[in-house]
Amino acid sequence: METSKDLPKFAVLQLSGCSGCEVSLLNSDEWISNFQLVYMPLVVTSNKIPDDVEVLLVTGGVRTDEDIHNLRKGRSRTKKLIAVGTCALSGGVAQFKGNHIARESFLKASHRLRMPDMLPNAYPIDRFVDVDLYLPGCPPTPQLFMTALKDPENAKIAAIVCQECGRQKLNDMRPTSITGPRSGVVLPDICLVNQGYICVGTSTRGGCGALCTRPGHACVGCRGPANPYLNKEPKFVLDNLRRVFARMTDIPAEEIDAVLESPWLSLFLGQFTDYTQEADLPLRTKEKML
Amino acid sequence: MTTITYPLSRIEGHARVVIDVYDNEVFRADFQAMEMRGFSHYVRGVPAEQITVIVPRICGVCSTAHQVASVKALEDVFDITPPPLANDIREVLLLGQLIQNQATSLFIFTMPDRTNASSLFELSQSEAGKAREFSLAQMALKIRKIGTDLISLAGGQFIHPIKTVIGGVSSGIKREKADQMILTIQELLPVATELVDIYWEMSMEMGDRIGSWGDDEPTHYLASTEANNYRLNSQRLRVMQPDGTEAPSFDPHDFEAYLQIAESEYSYAGVSSYMGQILRANSLARINLTESLGTPRADAYLRRFVQTFGKPAHAIMFFDLCRGIELVYALEKAQQMLECDLEHGETEVGYAPKDGTGFGLVEAPRGPLIHRYEVENGLIKTADFVIPTVHNMLAIRRALMVAAKRYVGPEGINAELERAVGRVVRAFDPCIACATK
Ligand code: SF4
Ligand code: SF4
Repeated sequence: METSKDLPKFAVLQLSGCSGCEVSLLNSDEWISNFQLVYMPLVVTSNKIPDDVEVLLVTGGVRTDEDIHNLRKGRSRTKKLIAVGTCALSGGVAQFKGNHIARESFLKASHRLRMPDMLPNAYPIDRFVDVDLYLPGCPPTPQLFMTALKDPENAKIAAIVCQECGRQKLNDMRPTSITGPRSGVVLPDICLVNQGYICVGTSTRGGCGALCTRPGHACVGCRGPANPYLNKEPKFVLDNLRRVFARMTDIPAEEIDAVLESPWLSLFLGQFTDYTQEADLPLRTKEKML
Repeated sequence: MTTITYPLSRIEGHARVVIDVYDNEVFRADFQAMEMRGFSHYVRGVPAEQITVIVPRICGVCSTAHQVASVKALEDVFDITPPPLANDIREVLLLGQLIQNQATSLFIFTMPDRTNASSLFELSQSEAGKAREFSLAQMALKIRKIGTDLISLAGGQFIHPIKTVIGGVSSGIKREKADQMILTIQELLPVATELVDIYWEMSMEMGDRIGSWGDDEPTHYLASTEANNYRLNSQRLRVMQPDGTEAPSFDPHDFEAYLQIAESEYSYAGVSSYMGQILRANSLARINLTESLGTPRADAYLRRFVQTFGKPAHAIMFFDLCRGIELVYALEKAQQMLECDLEHGETEVGYAPKDGTGFGLVEAPRGPLIHRYEVENGLIKTADFVIPTVHNMLAIRRALMVAAKRYVGPEGINAELERAVGRVVRAFDPCIACATK
């Protein structure tokens, strides 16, 4: 039997996040026989990333000066670096995104003696290092992790969540008001938009297997906007969603707008687009997106 | 003065232990959280009804507990009571969380310490691991995955659940899905008990080898499970005093009268105390406060534990053994609950949002978790998260002090100290993302 010492080495560097990405990776045991995990503080005690790592997965956003240091060091020790999860791609839920009450409150509380300094916001990792591949998701599914590790070049990722959802879009079922989150029974097999739910699967990149929508929960867009909206201002993906709801429902446009701009959706809808506001950053091309 | 810093691995998040030694005497042992998640700040100004989708992201390890606590807090604000079926489904969800968490802590975080391996994967490949007819690592991950599958079944998503909604749950659990899950549990329960037995055996050997179970003075214990009903979707907080007698229980609304929470100067996590005294939460606290778990295998382990170590039991490493008992309990209990009808009946009640203050309590894997929200004009004005890891902070520091004194003496600093520090901290299974809310 091949011992793990001969297998390609991979490492996981966790910056500021919730460990959800790591927990997802641990839901797959397939990598145990294909890779050698050499660094991942959550599960392995080892003080540093070795020099000859094949793939480094980076989770979490950049939140402290120590994160910047570890990220740069990690970059220098790996052939390939993959940014994993919403936090690494955008800073995630820790970004303030114009919420000044939150910013003020956080900055007042965020200093301790002889501790890493908290930066004024949470940043995407490609603000500091080059990224070879992006794996969005909050968190990405274990299957997506395996694809990223094994053969991302040949992966076939569904363009949008609807392609994997299996629910049917009907012409003659036009809701006039928003269903949920306050109440609502979900009918099987019928598109959630027809049922009045604010599902953003039509504009969200696939690959997750429509994890949420198949059992009946509206997609919140955690995989981020689909390829046509990459590197575009937030307006483009929002306009597309507005068009979908106008075509399929009679829900007043203001009500749709209010939901689309709410924090829980904008967290994910904006995860690529917020970033275009920083002009000096490299473009994230669709070839680099998994 | 010498300051020794130990970065920590195999725990959730970024933390370190700092020990100050002067003239071969230990002056300070501190456990420090090195990052600040800051959720109590991020959620300010957010529409109250959306907070239930945002707060699971406090922590990917115990997202489920946060989601349920959050929903319960808003139900308290809106003054509604979910139907019994919804409470049962939430319980299944929390059992899934307990399985996933205890399996992670037992096998991934702490089992390697039993043989001084660096990880479960290394342990699995070592002589000790190869002696088994199955791969320890693969089996451990399989058991852990039952928890994940239960979370998906009862929560709708595998990490950040979405099915628990204000007023109840969005749907029941279909018979055929429940039956599939029961089959998996039946098939893997013997594997789980075998792993727990191996763990127990390895722990006894480790105890003999190092000559200690991490002895420390008795403390107060805090849990929200009942003496004869281990319901995680809990209602009241209970306290055991160091001598084993119980203090009056209290409602989450009154927590501030009993639990004092303060910031730390050198750590991004706060500390709490019970009426000024050190307290402990997590598995050992629950087990000390339990008469019976109500499932056969788990109760057998509980009897064995009490007979061997007494009640209340105080040594640090008992936290780890208690997680094993709980893992078996949660598997058995989940099976029992799935055998009942969770498909038919009322799953949610409607509600009218209003302003006010609400509290939501659940027994998270690390102990009682409370979310407290103040809602004004439909927005979150202030949010407070009362975090189990914070309850354990003083106890962790004291246990580290005991360990440090054991390994620092006239001959200097024993190299075993680094391992001891890791074992002590992992016994409490701290979660830094949560603790720095
Ligand atoms: S909009 Fe949502 S529910 Fe409808 S088909 Fe797309 S993913 Fe499925
Ligand atoms: S369905 Fe939507 S929210 Fe759910 S995992 Fe897929 S992309 Fe994320």
